[in-house]
Amino acid sequence: MLAAQILINALVLGCLYACIAIGFSLVWGVLNVINLIHGSFIVLGAYLAWGLYQSLHISPWYSLAVAAPLFFVFGYVIQRLILNRVITAPVLVTLTLTFGLDLILNNAMIYYFKADYRKLTLTPPMGSVSIFDVVVPVDRLIATVAALALTFVLYLILRRLRVGRAIVAVRLDRDAAILMGVKVNSIYAIAFGLGAALAGCAGVLMALIFPISPLTSTAYLGKAFVVCVLGGLGSVSGALAGGILLALIEGVGSAMIGPAHATTLSFVLLIVFLILRPQGLLGRKGFE
Amino acid sequence: MVDPLVASASIVELKNLRAGYGEIQVLWGIDLAVRKGEITALIGSNGAGKTTLMRALSGLIPIQSGAYLCEGYDLSKASAAAILSRGIVHVPEGRRLFGAMSIEDNLLMGAYSRHISSSELKRDLDRVYTTFPKLFERRNQASATLSGGEQQMCAIGRGLMSAPKLLMVDELSLGLSPLLVEQLVAALRTLNAEGMSILLVEQDVITALDLCHTAFVMDMGRIVRSGSGQDLLADPIIGEAYLGVLK
Repeated sequence: MLAAQILINALVLGCLYACIAIGFSLVWGVLNVINLIHGSFIVLGAYLAWGLYQSLHISPWYSLAVAAPLFFVFGYVIQRLILNRVITAPVLVTLTLTFGLDLILNNAMIYYFKADYRKLTLTPPMGSVSIFDVVVPVDRLIATVAALALTFVLYLILRRLRVGRAIVAVRLDRDAAILMGVKVNSIYAIAFGLGAALAGCAGVLMALIFPISPLTSTAYLGKAFVVCVLGGLGSVSGALAGGILLALIEGVGSAMIGPAHATTLSFVLLIVFLILRPQGLLGRKGFE
Repeated sequence: MVDPLVASASIVELKNLRAGYGEIQVLWGIDLAVRKGEITALIGSNGAGKTTLMRALSGLIPIQSGAYLCEGYDLSKASAAAILSRGIVHVPEGRRLFGAMSIEDNLLMGAYSRHISSSELKRDLDRVYTTFPKLFERRNQASATLSGGEQQMCAIGRGLMSAPKLLMVDELSLGLSPLLVEQLVAALRTLNAEGMSILLVEQDVITALDLCHTAFVMDMGRIVRSGSGQDLLADPIIGEAYLGVLK
């Protein structure tokens, strides 16, 4: 039964990891920007959920609807006003810029929220379900479903909507997309906005499960990075596969060699993948 | 070189146009007119600047100086999107399809900048599928999986979806079998007969001169000769330089 529990935990956590990574993967794939603010966006989303719950008793499920547009606008504006100025520069320039922006955002959060760990505790608690001795907390289960739903929404946007096709087109061939009349700077801003919205929503879901502190942002960023490398940039399915793989490795690793080394294991795997299969499990050109 | 008598009937007119990449000047004062309803060919050896001219005309690289007129509008400072909205459509060298996307999605990208209803979109898609029935058979297939000829059909189809008044095709025949080239040439003839102006850049000089009404010869970033396709075919200097005819 332990094996079944580990497997279920990994599936649940894996979907959440995918949700963390997918916005990061989108921005990396389309803009060729390694967005180091991503982790702080997630933490800010968690604070949003926490704040709304503490002050107005708004359930995190509804906070998702607040976070998505708010973070989209936030991301859109950052891209339009700041990142678009250096978007054609080498990747190190944008990396440094997002690093600086992350320092600003993260320290602002430390200033306003303090570095204390906080927890969003639903009252009354939602309890847990158990099937054949496999126990899953209900809030975690709903968060997983929500994470899957968000992932699927991105997939639909990219596959079905006109703007989504333009995002994919810019990723595949920027010049050809310009010939189709695509205004690339505006598509970049929309893609960055979508990435931020997904990060904010992921943060709302994380608030239900993990303690909240500005200090956790690097952990989220690290997870997003590993998931992208494992699954491969450029596909929603890749992010899902990468997320579940990472969660499985962490789960099995904690059970076998102790939780302290689980993260080490995942980063060792990162290096192995970078050497042996740098395109990831399902990596390909094109974000579908 | 441009005959001033016909310039009034042109869809695109270039005067002393210069462009290049950063510090490197490629086009050294191009004078050229594409007449409405005609097929105009642009020929020349590798590195003559033909593709650079196409890229300048579609707004992919900036025009440094000179005039770029389209039906009275000055497009020398216009963005790619603005040029496209005037009906100047560029089918780029190497097709540049969105490989991971299906054929139909590629065609839909062609119509990206047009704000049209879904029924109009459907009608235009059907028109492309009628011109190139192969594309309809494979419409849900990723465009990267197509053969070279089918990719060229898809690229032209994508161009048609932008509702061109002037279709600029860069290297129609490159890497294609003679039979496929014949099919594509026939398609271009049909489009031209329906009133579409075409600017064709082509390495295959005989095909180009045979197809076109007017041709321009480019060398070292300049137009060095122009005339009707038949005249240029008969021109001994062209014969020697591009057709391998010995004196």
